Parts: sequence; structure tokens; C-alpha cells
Amino acid sequence: MKVFSNKKKMRSYREFLYILPFLILVAVFAYYPLYGWVYAFFDYRPPFPLSKESFVGLKWFKSMVENEVKLKQTLTVLRNTFAMSGLSLLFSWFPMIFAVFLNEIKCKPFKKFVQTVTTLPNFISWVLVYSIAYCIFNSTGVVNEVLINLGVIDSPQAFLQSGEHIWFKMWLWLTWKNAGWSAIMYIAAITGIDEQMIEAARVDGASRMQIIRHITIPSILPTYFVLVMLSLANFLSNGMEQYFVFQNSFNKESIQVLDLYVYNIAMGSGGYSLATAISILKSVVSISILCVTNKISKMIRGEGFI
Amino acid sequence: MGRKKLTALFLVAAMAISCFAGCGKKAGDTMVIEVYDVAANYQGTQTGWFAKVVKDRFNIELNIIAPQVAGDSIYQTRASSGNLGDIILLDGTDFADCVKAGLVKDISAELKDTKYLKDYQKQIDTYNAGLPDNTAGATYGIPAQMTNTSPTSYSQDVIYSSPLLRWDLYSELGCPDIEDLDGLLDVLEDMMKKHPTNKDGDACYPLSLWADWDGGDGMLGIANVVQLTTWYGEKIKGSAILKPDNSFTSITDKNASYYKMLKFLNDAYRRGLVDPDSGTQDWNSACAKMSAGQVYLMWYSWQVGFWNTQDRLKDGSAFIFTPVKDQLYYADSDTYYGSGRIFGVGSKVEGEKLERIIEFLDWYASPEGLVFQHDGIEGFNYTVDGSGKFTIMNDNALMDNLPVPEEYGGAGYSDGNNAINQWIVDAISTNPNSGEPYSSQYWSSYKAATMTQMKKDWQAKFGAAEPVEYMKKNNVLLVSPNVSVTLPSDTADISVIRKQCNEALCDASWQMIFAKDDAEFNAKWDAMCKTMDGMGFQDLLKFDMEKHQIEVDAKIAASK
Repeated sequence: MKVFSNKKKMRSYREFLYILPFLILVAVFAYYPLYGWVYAFFDYRPPFPLSKESFVGLKWFKSMVENEVKLKQTLTVLRNTFAMSGLSLLFSWFPMIFAVFLNEIKCKPFKKFVQTVTTLPNFISWVLVYSIAYCIFNSTGVVNEVLINLGVIDSPQAFLQSGEHIWFKMWLWLTWKNAGWSAIMYIAAITGIDEQMIEAARVDGASRMQIIRHITIPSILPTYFVLVMLSLANFLSNGMEQYFVFQNSFNKESIQVLDLYVYNIAMGSGGYSLATAISILKSVVSISILCVTNKISKMIRGEGFI
Repeated sequence: MGRKKLTALFLVAAMAISCFAGCGKKAGDTMVIEVYDVAANYQGTQTGWFAKVVKDRFNIELNIIAPQVAGDSIYQTRASSGNLGDIILLDGTDFADCVKAGLVKDISAELKDTKYLKDYQKQIDTYNAGLPDNTAGATYGIPAQMTNTSPTSYSQDVIYSSPLLRWDLYSELGCPDIEDLDGLLDVLEDMMKKHPTNKDGDACYPLSLWADWDGGDGMLGIANVVQLTTWYGEKIKGSAILKPDNSFTSITDKNASYYKMLKFLNDAYRRGLVDPDSGTQDWNSACAKMSAGQVYLMWYSWQVGFWNTQDRLKDGSAFIFTPVKDQLYYADSDTYYGSGRIFGVGSKVEGEKLERIIEFLDWYASPEGLVFQHDGIEGFNYTVDGSGKFTIMNDNALMDNLPVPEEYGGAGYSDGNNAINQWIVDAISTNPNSGEPYSSQYWSSYKAATMTQMKKDWQAKFGAAEPVEYMKKNNVLLVSPNVSVTLPSDTADISVIRKQCNEALCDASWQMIFAKDDAEFNAKWDAMCKTMDGMGFQDLLKFDMEKHQIEVDAKIAASK
């Protein structure tokens, strides 16, 4: 056969076959679902197939901003998304510092204990987290009982019901759940640091804090930057589970983020088209943010990350 | 070697025996029937005693697909695949859409040969004639929960929603007459003052609310509030309120009952009568409080099931209807034409499967099938005396999930209960074999057993045998006739508006219940109205009024 007569060509075919399964995987699971975007341009309503629905063009995109009230709602949702993602970004150094200090603990059993305890919450689902929160903070929960017994308050406070400082509270829950898990990456990076550098610094009389400042942190900064930039690309998708379980009529104004908003609109009623339209916008914005941060990274560090 | 041979021989023998055993069974293989079921709370294969009942008769297994468990998106995915299920149970509006989309089979020919479904031919025909575009007069659906009474009668002893108070606490206060909602709050406040905690020392609040069900049952707004509107003869239909004179008003009308009931709950809150966890707890927490006696007002007829037991009926601490003088109670009449949900058969079902499904559905509507569905197993849930009258036994079978004897299928009673959770014929219908309704609460044996001192005291005080009799006597019961109409489904625009308006309404309503003063209460209401108008509420209201006018016209015609 002619194809196989050329050895080089044959090899390239073979190598193409190596990556073919992965190409198929990506095509099926990453590109084929994009077909679902067509729903945004129809007045879609189950159980009728798309062929029986009318094409409406950009109607659903326009409807997000068509009057003052809807514009306000869209902006509120965006504000919440940016605020909560922004808070996470602002404190993104926290797991890194946590890992650095964890690494400094000399007593091995204690170190392991702390690491296990902080990693465990990552495996608890948000639904259970809310049950725990409800048990602790309800009107007859531990917190209210203690505060009443101490005489700090005289009637039970509805902690979960207030929308005040909700962004910060959500960040606290998120950190409690994720800090230990995110620290693992940094702990791995720290173990990769060349021992000789640290020993040399010690010989030169560097204190512990100085070693952290001048050796440990600079060594794991590249890891930090990559993680931050990847999280920037996910700026708009901060997930919905956490906010879904904590949302109620009193805090929805401040807790409803984009993903939750999409869920609240689409599920239980026929808002599929509008929800799809919002998701498309979200993807477009996310891609632009990713490109921008990559540009900035190129400008500052001289190299991009994609 | 010898042992190996023996094993082989043994295996061959076992296979042969099992083969013969298999041949000895009923003709045909066990068939799995998929049931797409909006009423089910359980997803998966039917197990336990009901599975045995069905398998023994039809050699079928029921595989329940429950959107309540799997999420509503399963409706979309299954509908787009062109096969919802073999047996389909849907709400009327969705059912009509599915007929239109070709997902439901025309079963006119098959129904002709049925024995028991024929008794409901009139209702079935009325429903199918009302299906849009069904000019050929085909039969697609069988309405659920039909009765063999009449479309204008009201056969039950209690209505779906009315004020229910603890009799012991009420009589402790000297059974004061309650004039209006303020009077009701006075009584509740006195109860709470006298009994701030239950026996275990847990705090009691007369009202404990929950938010899980908001916007359900085709009614905008907080589920707990929309029921209370029926105390003043008004019924919420989507975004509109149907008034006693059959005219509509908006749910955002300040003179209508939704606002009135929010005000009532807000007054209760300001008096400290509302459970502070109401806004954040789920149904399970609220339910636990009802069972623990931490709640003093109930408003759903089924809610009492979490407290009233035979013992409590005897010692007088059970919940019972307590009239408020200025109220006019709305109730939907017997569901002669069905409750609104429809059974159908999937369009892909053919041949033997179709035959067995029709056989099964026919049995499902037969007295034998209905006794299993409504009353359970003879010898376990009830006994029958010489005259054919039923007497209840093991009345806690469902509540405590009692173990069922192996001969009936084993496992827990509640676990093995009919997972379809919807009946073709309602429990209030008369069982031709006993001459009494299927529902155990209406058996003469049950009535005799529950004639307690408390009931006698109640009868003496209010001069009637049962709550509904009191209402009828005093002319405070508004029975809305049952009609069979298929209402138009939401367009894509309307369904988005409905969802968004409902969120705005529920959020504001909860905040209003917890408002500190009138100024905050009214400010929230006004802001909410403005938001809802921006979402397109007026379009929704217009749509709902036109939609439900069809139903109202039919009701007016039926009551003539």
C-alpha cells in the first residue's frame, strides 16, 4: 500500500491514532454540548421538540436588560458574583500562607492532625454543611443558647436569616471547607524546594521568618500565579451549591450569583431559553477574562500560561 | 475428580429444576413497566407487598420514574427522547401538551373491552372531548381520582384548609368564641402564655412555617399563605385570586386575601407567635416540631396526622377545627371528574405490553385494586365482618412502617406501599362490596371507635356532628363544583415571567411576615409590586385570568 510505504508517514498516522481517543473525548464532552446553545435562540418549551418551536433570534439576550427592573436584577446578580469571586481572589493567598506555616510545624503528629482536620471539610457536601449550620445557628442552636446564657442577647437571633455581611460569611464557610484542600498544592510545591538553598541561608544566619520571606514564598509564587490565573478564568462561575443551600428570601438579594440565578430561572419551569442565553454570555465573558489575564501575564512575567 | 463430577451433576440438576420451575409459572416473562409519575415520591422499582400484589396478578414489575425525586429536567430529557414512559401520569396541562407532541397513545379501542374503567366512561369521555384539537373523539387520558358521587357534592367531614386548634388548650381557656383573626391571635397568645414549652421543655410557637413548597400547585406566593386565603372564600389561581362572586382580582390587590393573610402572619410575628426559624427551616424541621407538640395552630387537614393519635383523641389533646366567626370557607367539591392529573399510555407501547397495561389499569380502578390502594391488605390492615363491613387494624402500619408478614410480600408496610401514589378512583368513593367509602375514616366501625369525650364536647359546643356539617349548617362553606377542562399551557414568555414574579412575591412576602412595623410592611409590598410589574406581571395576570375564566365558566354552568 502506498500509505504505508512511507515510513515517516506511517509513524505520523500511528501517532495520530494515539491521540484520537482523547480528541473524541473532547469532541463529545466539550464541543458536542455546545449544540445546546441553540435553545437560547428559540422559544423552547418541553415537551415539544425544537422543530416545533419558533425562532426568536436575540430576544432572550435583550430581555435581560429590556427595562429598569430587569436591568437592576441582572446588575445585582453580577454584583454578587463579582463580590464573592473578588473576595476569594483577594484572599487567595490564604491557603498558600497556611501551607507555609503548616510546613514550619516541627511536631510531625500535630502537623498531620492539623492537615487532616482542615482537609476533611472538603469532602462534606454543601447540603450537610447547611444542616450543620442550621443546627448551630437556629433559634435553639448552640450559638443562641450560649449567647443568651451569657446575657449578651435576650432573645434568639436569626443568624441564617439576615442578609448582612453575607458575602463575608459565605467566604468564611468556603474557606473553612476549602483551605486545607487548596493548601495541598502548595505543600507539594514547598517539598520541591532545594534543601541546599535553605541550608545555605541557615549557615548565613537567616532566621526562620527570613527563610520564609526570601526562599519559601518566592519559590512557590509561580504555582500561586498559575492557580490565581486559572481561578480568574472561572471568575464568573463560583458554583451554585453553596449559595443554593444558604439562600432564603431574606438574603437572596445579596447571595444570588450567576450560576444560582441560572438554576433558579431554568429549573421547575420552562425558563430554559433565558437560562441558556445567560450561560452563553457567561462563557463569552469568561473567555475574554482568560485572554486578558493571559495578556497581562505575558506583559508582566514575560510568559503566558496558555 | 469424584467430587468435581458430583458438583457438576448437582449443578445440572439444579439447572433442570429451575428450568421446570420457570416453565410452571404464568405464561410470558415478567415485564417491566416504566411509570412516569408526577405524584411519586419514590424512584425505582416498586418493592414489598404492593409489588407482590401486582406481580401475582399481571406478572409485571413497576419501575417508577419520579420527577419529584429526579428533578423536573427529567421531563425535558425524556420528552425529547420521544418516550416518557409506558404508563404516564401528568398534570392536565402537561398531558394535553404531550398528546399534541405525539407522546401519548390513543387507547379508545382498548378501553372498550375493560370491565371497571367503563363505569367511569362518562368522566373519561368528558375529559377527552375537552382536549384541544381532539376532533376525532379519540381517548388518550384517564383522569385520576375520579369519584362515583357527583360533581357538586361534598362528601368529606373536613375541608382541606381551616383553622385547627388543640382542643385541650382551647377548652382550658374556656372555649371562647373567636370573632375574627385578631380573636384567633388572642387565643393563640393565651395558649402560648400558659404553655410556653412542650413536655420536654422545648419552646413552643403557635405558628411554625416553612418555605420549601412556595410557588407550588400552580399558585403564586408562599405555600403557607395561599392556603389561608381559602378561609375567606378566595382561591388563588396562578397570579389571580378568584373571589366568592366568581370574579377575579390580582394577587397584589391590597383588598384581597393574600395581603390580608400576610398581615395576619405579620401581626402574629409582632406578638411573638411565629417560630423565629420559620424563614430558614425546611419541611422536615417544621414537621418534627408538629410531632413534638411545639405548634398550636395547624391549617392543612392532613397536618393533624403528625399529632392526632387514638390516644390523644381520647385524652382530648388532639387538633380539631375551631370556627372563626367571620370566615367563609372555600372547598373544592368531590373530584367527580378527577383531581386534574391524568393517566395515559406511552405512544411507543404495543402488543402484549399494551394488553397487560390496560389489564393493570382496569384492575387499578376495580374494587379489589382500590381496596389494596386505599385500605391495604386484608388480615393486616383491616378485617371484614359477616355483613361485609370493614374494621381497621394496625392503624399505625403506615406511620411506623410495620413489618409485613412474609406471605404478603414482607418488608415494611410503608416501604412496600403503592409507590404510584395516585389513584384512578378517590378514597371517598363508595366501595360496592361494603357500601361504605374506601377511606377508613368513614367506616362506621371507625366512627364508633373514635366517638371520644373530646368529640362529644366539640359536638355539644358547636351543635354539629362534624366540621363540614357545622359549616353547612351555618352557611359558611363555599363548595366549588368539580369540572373537567383542559387549560392552555404557559408560553415560553409567560413561564419565565411566572417564575420571576413568584420569586419576587415569595421573597417580599417572607420579609413582610418578619417586618417590624406597618411602615416597613407597606414599603416592602409597594416595592414588590413595582418589581413584579417590571418583570411583566400584568401580562401574566391577564393570561391567568383568561385561562381560568374557562374553568370558572364551566363551574358556573355545572352549579346551575
